[in-house]
Amino acid sequence: MSKISRRDLLQYIGAGGVGTGAGYLFAEVIKRPVEFLIPPVVPPEDYSPGIATWYNTVCNQCSAGCGISVRIREGRAKKIEGNPVHPVNQGRLCARGQSGLNALYNPDRIRSPMRRVGERGDGSFEAISWDDALTEIATRLIRLKIDDKADRVQLLSGRVRGHLDELFEQFITLFGSGRYVQYDFTDPVNLRLANRLSFGTENLPYYDIANSDFLLSFGADYLGTWLSPVHYSLGYGQLRQGREQRGKCVQIEPRMSLSGANADEWIAAVPGSEGILALGIARLLVADGAYAGSDRAAWRRALEPYSLDRVSAATGVAPERVEQLAAEFGGHEASLAIAGGAAAAGTNAVASLVAVNVLNHLAGNLGQPGGIIFNAAPLFGSGTRQAGSAQMTELAAAMQDGAIEVLLLHDTNPIYALPAASGFADAMAAVPTIVAMSSFMEETTALADLILPTDTYLEAWGDDAPDPGVGLPVASISQPVVARVFDTRSVGDIVLSLGRRIGFELPVAMPWASTEDFIKDAWRKVYGDLDPQADAQGFEEFWLAALEAGVWGRAGATGETGDAPLPSLIPDIDNAQASFVGDTAEFPFVLHPYLSATLFDGRGANLPWLQELPDQMTSVVYGSWVELNPVTADELGIRDGNLIEVESPAGRVRGPALVFPGIAPGVVAMPFGQGHLAYGRYAQDRGVNPIALVAMQSDQQSGELAWAGTRVKLRNTGEQARVVRNDGVSRTLGRQILHPGQGHA
Amino acid sequence: MPQRGRDKLSISVSEALRPAKKPALIGVAVVVGVFVGVWINDTYFSDRAPVQPIEFSHRIHASDNEIPCQYCHIYAARSPSAGVPSVAKCMGCHTAVADARERPEVLKLAGYWDRQEPIPWVKVHDVPDFVHFTHKRHVLAGLECQECHGPVQDMDRITRIAPMTMPWCVDCHTEREVENGRDCWTCHK
Repeated sequence: MSKISRRDLLQYIGAGGVGTGAGYLFAEVIKRPVEFLIPPVVPPEDYSPGIATWYNTVCNQCSAGCGISVRIREGRAKKIEGNPVHPVNQGRLCARGQSGLNALYNPDRIRSPMRRVGERGDGSFEAISWDDALTEIATRLIRLKIDDKADRVQLLSGRVRGHLDELFEQFITLFGSGRYVQYDFTDPVNLRLANRLSFGTENLPYYDIANSDFLLSFGADYLGTWLSPVHYSLGYGQLRQGREQRGKCVQIEPRMSLSGANADEWIAAVPGSEGILALGIARLLVADGAYAGSDRAAWRRALEPYSLDRVSAATGVAPERVEQLAAEFGGHEASLAIAGGAAAAGTNAVASLVAVNVLNHLAGNLGQPGGIIFNAAPLFGSGTRQAGSAQMTELAAAMQDGAIEVLLLHDTNPIYALPAASGFADAMAAVPTIVAMSSFMEETTALADLILPTDTYLEAWGDDAPDPGVGLPVASISQPVVARVFDTRSVGDIVLSLGRRIGFELPVAMPWASTEDFIKDAWRKVYGDLDPQADAQGFEEFWLAALEAGVWGRAGATGETGDAPLPSLIPDIDNAQASFVGDTAEFPFVLHPYLSATLFDGRGANLPWLQELPDQMTSVVYGSWVELNPVTADELGIRDGNLIEVESPAGRVRGPALVFPGIAPGVVAMPFGQGHLAYGRYAQDRGVNPIALVAMQSDQQSGELAWAGTRVKLRNTGEQARVVRNDGVSRTLGRQILHPGQGHA
Repeated sequence: MPQRGRDKLSISVSEALRPAKKPALIGVAVVVGVFVGVWINDTYFSDRAPVQPIEFSHRIHASDNEIPCQYCHIYAARSPSAGVPSVAKCMGCHTAVADARERPEVLKLAGYWDRQEPIPWVKVHDVPDFVHFTHKRHVLAGLECQECHGPVQDMDRITRIAPMTMPWCVDCHTEREVENGRDCWTCHK
């Protein structure tokens, strides 16, 4: 046995020590991270950890008015699903609806009232108390009222329906100003006007896609963004698979949307010629006897100018294709024509929409199953106060002239949604006091002097009667599903407390202590109309039942079949080709902006789930892109990912090219939604806003912005930009995946 | 000569291994050290009985004062979580129990109540998020709390006695012939 030297022994001890340390650290690393069990100080009523409660309310991510059920655990909203008994969405919900949680718990929400301290627009605000904020506004308003300048107060709101709209109106009228308009970029202003011209009512009718045999859509992306996409998606499912005879869908649009991709035929007619195509089909319906009304001769004369040759030349659709469409449209038992998207956003939009209504009339679709069924007026809140861009320009001019001293903004973002040429931003600079009621610091709110943070729709009381309705009168109560996350208030509460502070006749006429009281009182009237003998106890039961179910409706009642297009309409159907801003030689391409199925008109851009959701057609995530036909791209020497400068007479933006086969040559498409200069960490500094390209041009009849009426030119900057895409290659590359000629089911 | 021959042919194993002996011993020392290190961590620095913000004693409450488990953990029979009592619940008794009022740990509790702050108890019993565990099922099946949590009534500081791992769960399910007790979807859904 050799002796261990002192040196060796120390080395062995050292090794042992290292091993011990390593073992200790290893045991430390494999431990579970420390978690805490934090019980409440005082548990709320009905609080059971681990047990979920579902509350029904109304979605507010777009204007469709879907019913939602929100899963609540430990006082926190965990998941939003569709309310199964709500007739609009029947348990389904779209991605935007699901993302409501991102709005509720958004880290960029405004957390307390704020007062501007720096220059307007430089973004420096100080937090103030609610009391200070409301007193400051009320003092300003009282001053104006005493000086007999009450009409210098303008209320500009986003979409507000139901009884809250009435509350706003009451407030502004009692105060002595008639100035109250709503501005929502997506409101179908043109469709309402066209329906008023055709049918004598602005209520949106029920488009019965579910029972239609032949659905002809002129640019309406009914599966993605048009009016009530969840309901129409259900209808589409029924049309395709829910019955014995499968319906057929034809989509007419220059850029293939989700609905175009799901149609049997996609026809890329010349942008802006949709109305002429509809009238061309209408002429054939009358000519070949499919229409047999007593005024057939008058229709025949009126439609005479829309000869096959002219229609074919204007639309770029082959004459035999037009004839085939007319034969199919007239030949099906229940055919239905709808229009929306860019087809309803040109300079001739209202005329085109009237032409589509004419088509439905001539095919005998009005009031028929599978056609257009007229809704009774919504139970309440039927007044539409939507301003088109022309009215917004007028408002901007009034602001410039000093006619507005206080601008009250609520949940609207005209700075983002209107072209700079509207002059709205400059006009805001001329208004002495701007008060914004909003949950988020978007472009318009960022210019305010005083900011009052509002509840999201998941924290506030309200109600809604869906528009478009579903063929029977229904309404829903919107209730808070969680306690407030931040120091915010509902817009109804703000208006009521302002009324109390202003005084005069306002507190007497608006006696409610809270929005909840107000809504409940309003529903007492709804209930009274339903059952005049009803007593108070009956109402309580009714109220609780309506709250619990999330929807209340009266079965059976339908609207009157509105007047069919009057003969006097016939001279009005003259449908000129849409006019475009930009010289054809200098600006060779038509700009086709489209509503994003995720970010919508840009309001979804601050919700991370929507940012990371791929666009359905191109699979692009985040950012903006410029869609080009492969032929156009080849001619210009542009490849995927080249950074392109798109220039119109109104402005220029840059974005990566995306060569996309589902778009007509000569058309350039860009999605709305990105390019925010404010609106929080997820929205800001990402992509570009195609509104910067849109020239200030309105529909001739409605005054609504013709956002599809601009021509552009393209320049390859030679730089590369990254487009984040989920898909691989759209070609089979000889892999024998698809077998041409065999077709598929 | 045999003597010489043996000398010539013999191979000394210890001689041959001599150069490797020292690294081998170092290796053994390291390995032994690792085990010792793990043992030290597990014995003296274990997370089975973490220090809590208040030195709450289950022995005093459940044993000495014979308070039933579900008097405080009120959700055990009706929810996935058994629930930890709210500060209000603690104070409900402690404002009335006079002789306990001056104890330092009870003063800590009163401090939380005065500040209206929740108590950040450290979690001792936990299963990963992909396990759908529910107290309700187990309580309704007639299991005693102690089956999984050990003799809590004798503990001054709450200590985890079971590993709370899948084999441990499945062993018990098998032994008791739990219906669908070995089906993946019973716990992972």
